[in-house]
Amino acid sequence: MTKQSRDAIAELAGVAENPDEYIAQWKRDKNRKVVGLMPMNFPAEIAHAAGALPVVIQQKRTPITIGNNRLTEFHCGYTRSVADQAAKKELGLYDGFMLADHCIQLLGASDIIRDESPEVPMYFGQLISSMGDPWSREQILKKMMSFVREIENFTGRMIHESDLQNSIQLFNENRRLLRQIFDARRAGDVTFKPSELQAFVKSSMVMDKQEHSALLRQVLETAAARPSGAGLIKLHISGHFCHAPKTELLELIEDCGAIIVDDDLFHGTRYISTDIGESKAPIEALADWYLDRNVAAPCPTRVQHDVDWDRYLLNLVAESGAEGLVVLMAKFCEPHMLYYPELRKALNARGIPHVLIETEHEGIPVETIRTRIEAMLERIRRKEPSAA
Amino acid sequence: MGVDLGSTTAKTVILDGGGSVVAARIVQMGAVSREGLRRSVEGALEAAGLSMPDIAYTIGTGYGRRLVPGVGRTFTEITCHARGVSAICPGVRLVIDIGGQDSKVIAVDDRGLVDDFAMNDRCASGTGRFYEVLARALECEMSQIGDLAMKGTRDLEVSSLCATFAETEIISLLAEGASREDIAASVHRAVAHRVLGLVALVGVREPIVMTGGVANNRAAVHFLAKALDRPLQVPPDPQITGALGAALLALDTTGARATQGDLSMLEKVEREVESAFVPANRFMPTCATCSGDLDDEKNGSLRGMPIRSSGRASLGLTKPG
Repeated sequence: MTKQSRDAIAELAGVAENPDEYIAQWKRDKNRKVVGLMPMNFPAEIAHAAGALPVVIQQKRTPITIGNNRLTEFHCGYTRSVADQAAKKELGLYDGFMLADHCIQLLGASDIIRDESPEVPMYFGQLISSMGDPWSREQILKKMMSFVREIENFTGRMIHESDLQNSIQLFNENRRLLRQIFDARRAGDVTFKPSELQAFVKSSMVMDKQEHSALLRQVLETAAARPSGAGLIKLHISGHFCHAPKTELLELIEDCGAIIVDDDLFHGTRYISTDIGESKAPIEALADWYLDRNVAAPCPTRVQHDVDWDRYLLNLVAESGAEGLVVLMAKFCEPHMLYYPELRKALNARGIPHVLIETEHEGIPVETIRTRIEAMLERIRRKEPSAA
Repeated sequence: MGVDLGSTTAKTVILDGGGSVVAARIVQMGAVSREGLRRSVEGALEAAGLSMPDIAYTIGTGYGRRLVPGVGRTFTEITCHARGVSAICPGVRLVIDIGGQDSKVIAVDDRGLVDDFAMNDRCASGTGRFYEVLARALECEMSQIGDLAMKGTRDLEVSSLCATFAETEIISLLAEGASREDIAASVHRAVAHRVLGLVALVGVREPIVMTGGVANNRAAVHFLAKALDRPLQVPPDPQITGALGAALLALDTTGARATQGDLSMLEKVEREVESAFVPANRFMPTCATCSGDLDDEKNGSLRGMPIRSSGRASLGLTKPG
C-alpha cells in the first residue's frame, strides 16, 4: 500500500472518529450552513444542492449523563446519545435539523433537541412508510418538494434543477466508489479491517462528497494489492440501523477466526445501496430513489408486500458465500426487535447458522460475545456443509 | 487434559490414551481465578501421579479458556459440554447447562455435535450467582437452598428475577410474612420458567441432560423438569462435563500425535487439529455401568456413572472400530 493510500485511510478514519472537528473546519472555510440529518432516509442531495453541508448525526462514545433525564432508559443507544449531546449543548455546530423517518425514538430525540435549542430550525417531513399503495409515489413527490422548500428557506438559497442534478451526480459517484470497495470485499479481492470500512461510510455521512470521493480514489488505487484472509469462516453482519456498531465488536468477531464478507448495516452497504436516476427530473428521481431503496435493501421500518428483508438476506448470504450470520440488534430498536422472529425463522429454515448479539451504548460484554461467536464458528467448522 | 475455567469454579479432567478418566478435580474459587485454575490443574495432576510434561495435549474451555497455561487450543464451553455429555449420555439431544454466571441450552445432533444453542445475555437470573443471592437473603447455606425449596407449598408471585433486585423482592416477601420455604420454592419455580424461554429458542428435544453447578441443586432440577414437563437427567458430576468434553476433544484431535510436553511440537500438532475434527475420528464411549441408554430402567438416572472428582476412574471409553 502506498503512503498516499495510508494517509487517505487515516484521514477518513480521523473524520469518522471526530466529525465535529471536520464540521467546524468546514464551517470556518466555507462560511455556510450545516444541516444535521437524522437517519436513515432524508435525501441529503437537496441540502447539498443549496450549498449546505448535510451531516448524518453520529452517536458519541461518551457516557450518557445529563441526557439520561430527558429520554427513558428504554430508548435505543443512538437516540439517548443524541439527546445527551443536545442536553450538553454539543450540537451547536448544526444550524438546523431535518428528519424524514417516523420512528418514535428518533422523534423523542428530536424533541429534546428542539427543547434544548428552540431557536434552531427543526423540520420533520415524514416520508410515507407504506411503499406499495397507489398514492405512495404521489405522497413521496410532495414530500420531496417540501424538503426542497424547507431547505431553501433554511439556507436562503434557491435550488435550481441543475444544482440538484449536480449534487445527485456527486452523491452517486461517492456511492459507486464505496460500493466498489464493498464489492471487492465480497469477492475476496481485498481485506479491509471492519473499522476501516465503517470509517469509509461514516466519514461519507459527514464530509463534503467531492472531498470524500477524492480520498476514496486514493484508497482504491492500492486496494487490490491487499490479499484477503484465507481459511477464515465467512460471515455476514446484519442489522444495526441508524448508528454504527462499535468497531471493537466487529473486530472481536473477526478475531474469533472469521472474516466479514458482507453486511446490510446502515454504516455499511445499506447506506450506499441505491443510486438516484440521473436522466430523470431530479424530484422524480429522488422519489424513485426512495422507493427503489427499499427494494435494493429492504428495511423493517417500511411496508411493501412483495419485498421482505429475510428473502433479501438469504440472497445476500448465497451470493457472498457467507457460512454464518451475526445479527447485531441495537437494544430497544423496535422495528428490528419485531422483525427478528421472521429473520430467525427464515435462517433456521435454510439451515444458516446465526447468532443474535444485542448491543448497547454502554460497553460490550466481550467474553460473553466471544463465547457466542466462537461457538457458532466451532459449529460451522465441525459440520459438513450439507448439515450446516 | 481438559481444563474448564468458569466464572466460579475451575475443573480439570485428565484422560489416558484410551479415553479412561485418570483424574478429575473441581476447585471453587473467585471470579475466573488463576489461583483456582492452578489448584485444579495441580490437584488433578497430583491425583493422577503425573506432571505437566506427561500431558500430551491440553484444551481449555470456559470463560477463562485463554488463561490456561500450556493450552494447545481452546473451545467454547458450548462445544465442550456437547462433547462431554454426549460421551456420558449417548443419544442426548438437549443439554441445559447452568453455571455460576450464565445459562446455556445446547441442541446436540446424533453425532454429538452442536446443532444450535442459546445463552443468556448479561442477566445473571437463574444462574449460580442468583441462587447465592437467594441463599443470602433467606439466611441459609447454598447447600441448603434446594432442600428448603422442596418443602415449599405455596406459589407466590415473584415479579423480578433480576439478580440485583431479587434480594429486595425476597425481603419484601419475608416482610409480608411468607415462609422461607415458600419463597425458595417460588423463586425456583420462576427461574425454571425463565429457562423455558431459552429452551424455546432452540426447541425442546429429548433426552435432556442438565449440567453445571446448579444441577447439584435438586430443587432447581425438580422445578425445571416440572416446567418442561419432561424428565431431566443429571450426570453424577454435572460440573465436570465441560472439562471432560475438552479432554475428549484433546484426545479426538491429537491421538498419538502427542507433544509429550515438548512445546516446540505444538505448531505441528495444531496444523493437524482441524483435519481431525470429523466424526469418524472421534472417540465414543462405552459406558461401564449402564447400557448408555437414557431409558435404561436399571440405570434410569445417570447418577452413579463412574466419574470421580479425583483418583483413577474408568469410563471405559473405546475408539469405534
